[in-house]
Amino acid sequence: MDNSYDAIVIGAGNAGLISALKLVKENKKVLILESNNVPGGMATSFIRGRFEFEASLQAISGYGSSEKPGPLYKLFEKLDIVDKIKFINLTEAFHVYCKEKKEDYVMPFGIQEFINKMNEYVPNSEKAMKKFFILAEEVQKALLFLENDKNVNSQTLLEHFPNFIKVAALSTDKVFKALKMPKKAAEILSTYWVYLGSPTSTLSFVHFASMLLSYIYLGAVVPEKRSHEINTILAEEITKNGGVIKYLSTVQEILFEEGKVSGVRLSDGKDFKSKHILFNGSPTFLYGKMIPKEHVPKEALKLTNSRVLGARGFSIYLGLNQSPEDIGLTDYNYFIYHSLDSNSEFENRSALKNNSCVATVLNNINPHCSPAGTTLITLTSTFFGDAFDSKVTEENYFELKNQIAENMINNFEETTGINIKSYIEEIEIASPVTFARYGGHPEGIIYGYKLTGLDNLLPRTLNKEKENFIPNIRICGGFDAWGNGFSNTYLSGYRAAKQTLLDMKGEEE
Amino acid sequence: MNDLKLDGLGKKERLKFKNLSKDREKVMASTPLDNIKVDYNTNEIARSLHPKLQYVKVIDIINESSDVKTFLLAPNEEKGTKKLAYFKAGQYISVRIRIGKCLYKRPYTLSCSPKLALNNRYTITIKRKEEGVVSNHFFNNITVGSSFVVSAPSGTFCYERIRDAKNVIAIAGGSGITPFISMAEAINDQLLNFNLTILYGAKTRKDIIFKEKLDKLSSHEKIKVKYILSEEESDKYETGFIEKETIDPYLVEENSFFVCGPMELYKHINEVLKEYNLAKKFIRTDLFFSEIEVRREENFNVKVITKDKEFNITCNGKETLLSAIEKNGILAPSSCHVGVCGLCRSKLISGKIKTFDSDLRVSDKNLNYIHPCSSFPESDIVIKLPN
Ligand SMILES: Cc1cc2nc3c(=O)[nH]c(=O)nc-3n(C[C@H](O)[C@H](O)[C@H](O)COP(=O)(O)OP(=O)(O)OC[C@H]3O[C@@H](n4cnc5c(N)ncnc54)[C@H](O)[C@@H]3O)c2cc1C
Repeated sequence: MDNSYDAIVIGAGNAGLISALKLVKENKKVLILESNNVPGGMATSFIRGRFEFEASLQAISGYGSSEKPGPLYKLFEKLDIVDKIKFINLTEAFHVYCKEKKEDYVMPFGIQEFINKMNEYVPNSEKAMKKFFILAEEVQKALLFLENDKNVNSQTLLEHFPNFIKVAALSTDKVFKALKMPKKAAEILSTYWVYLGSPTSTLSFVHFASMLLSYIYLGAVVPEKRSHEINTILAEEITKNGGVIKYLSTVQEILFEEGKVSGVRLSDGKDFKSKHILFNGSPTFLYGKMIPKEHVPKEALKLTNSRVLGARGFSIYLGLNQSPEDIGLTDYNYFIYHSLDSNSEFENRSALKNNSCVATVLNNINPHCSPAGTTLITLTSTFFGDAFDSKVTEENYFELKNQIAENMINNFEETTGINIKSYIEEIEIASPVTFARYGGHPEGIIYGYKLTGLDNLLPRTLNKEKENFIPNIRICGGFDAWGNGFSNTYLSGYRAAKQTLLDMKGEEE
Repeated sequence: MNDLKLDGLGKKERLKFKNLSKDREKVMASTPLDNIKVDYNTNEIARSLHPKLQYVKVIDIINESSDVKTFLLAPNEEKGTKKLAYFKAGQYISVRIRIGKCLYKRPYTLSCSPKLALNNRYTITIKRKEEGVVSNHFFNNITVGSSFVVSAPSGTFCYERIRDAKNVIAIAGGSGITPFISMAEAINDQLLNFNLTILYGAKTRKDIIFKEKLDKLSSHEKIKVKYILSEEESDKYETGFIEKETIDPYLVEENSFFVCGPMELYKHINEVLKEYNLAKKFIRTDLFFSEIEVRREENFNVKVITKDKEFNITCNGKETLLSAIEKNGILAPSSCHVGVCGLCRSKLISGKIKTFDSDLRVSDKNLNYIHPCSSFPESDIVIKLPN
């Protein structure tokens, strides 16, 4: 059997799958190697009793619709999969609770609607909010421009995006201040921080603004049959186009010949040959243990050592034996914060001190996702630093998980006044240990590296090519410039495939 | 262009933007060139709890009854397994046994306290089944010193304190006692905290396994054990089947039922429990399928496709596809053998199968994925394995 391929994709997460699909559509001979037995990585589903749980997804942003196509919609169109997957729209942007002040706010989709609602909650916020969205729009356009032309001194950039240039290197908090955003409005607006895993004092404004604008303007979606549906369809399409996917196959080592990438070795010793590798895992493990030391450039070590691991995941999946109406669960997404100030919230989560979470009730937008008279609800939290890592041992593991889960559920009940505990028919708890095992990433991080300081979106984007340290290895997924998220990782996979195609072309010439 | 004005932002901020790329390089350049940290406690625990494989050897064999034996397992250090993974009471390991050129995998519940695993020991308890290839192999060929491979502990037939009632009625039949002995030991070792009443149905006194252990455990204030014999009259034991009257004395306001045993037990208990009109959440079984009534005693041709090879085998309508695949010496991933864990998920390219009400994801069902461990052929079949 011929073991050589035009390209090998390591990992069948969102980015890996999309990159492989693009490559096979360009008639390349592609092999995907995946540790797990199903495609999707973090984006997957699993079954307990009569429930099929979504493992990670709360909302896909950047999709939009045929009338208002977002970047992800356009990507799926290019790959001919738009008609193959049915998406359902979220109906409201978020319902956020502040426990310490006993306040809660429900925010709608649509820019004007969002501004109006904010003005109801925070009178006199309208002017600053309008400015925020105008600036966000400029930011989004500028980022798109920079995708193709990374020259920060380019005349077009200077002429067309003067405000972007002023805020491009600033934190979200700094720009809120410049916009004279009322404190309360800034706090409600920052609800979204948790999706990016970085508090507003360190999170770059341009990233925050661009993501929030996309979310509020385009709305958000989830696939009707869980994210596993997207994965199976992508996997089918890849296979149909001649790609090969091997599951239960963990790549242990990248092979080199005469100083150049020549293939991969699996943990069971099997080798596959290719000059091009797309890597959907963490650079920490890629440079730290998969590439033989003599082939890892100093810069790669230094860069990796300068980065901070991002959010660690913790999720509680509950199948309830009553309908959402009977229980009193009216919303899709409940953001349960102790404080609306993302910075203090972040500090608390770094010490495992609060029990904040995002609770998602899938039935409220997808009524048939579980049997009639039942509810699927997922409570997800993120921890930072060594909050979890320093506490967990093999022996206390099950109990620690239970304690954290119990506190989170109690906190949800106290904050919302909704009882869920009596209805639990099925429960599964995923901790950083679970995510470390399933995603294969360090310390159970689910959002790649922390977006902070000079490791924010823009500096990452600007230096991307320079940091492509080893020719013909392209890194894609949650560790790429845009960080985590369905949209971001799909788009990252597509970019990596296009880069690889260019790499291939470069070789021919 | 918009006419937005940003007060207080100007030259300094623009310069910062221009320098972003260089500044990032500076940070990188000033980072010490240590080796990258690749060992993390969280990942280490993930590996400890879910090792890909565990090499074990038998260090003792205990005769529980004429047809039941308990095997005490220890890590096979020569093969590189230094420690055994911790587990939750009620979980199983999938045991791999090579007979001739065939590799068989069978799930066996860990019949000991999880605490034993922390001392690097497991026990599994096996009942000899007349036609059981693997159970007979254990009785005839496995001796002290034998070694084999087992999976990481797995399975969800466990007490969950967030979900389950504080009062648990465990109904066991025959070797279905194994998860409950583990739970009782765990309560005794203070790893779990709930009231456990074990109603244990056996044919005759001789068929009761773990009697001595159970009697000792029942002196714990949270543990009660009651034996019910179906085929022997005795003053000391109740006779007959487990009925509502057997259960009633142990009930409090809210109770969870855990049921484990042979199919006849499930069927019977199912009827008995109907009288209580319980919410589904209060009845937990370690079997998720209902017995399939129609199975055809007929041989079908099955083409099995793996990544590297294709095989043509036959499978009788009365056996699962996985069983035929194993018997023919084809390697296939599997673990639970009841359609739940999903490890054997395969694509049905053509043909018809009968399957348990098994646990397939909606989109897998739509795209013809099946679990061969719980699927019986009803026609000739072409199937693609995951490996
Ligand atoms: C609880 C939770 C909630 C989330 N909520 C949202 C949300 O609401 N909206 C949103 O947009 N995003 C959300 N995310 C983030 C989103 O799920 C991820 O960003 C995305 O799925 C990551 O995709 P990826 O391409 O980086 O690959 P990953 O999912 O990280 O997958 C990487 C794959 O590579 C494989 N792999 C790694 N190394 C190797 C190797 N050496 N050999 C073989 N295979 C290997 C792994 O097994 C894995 O399958 C959430 C994530 C989590 C965990």
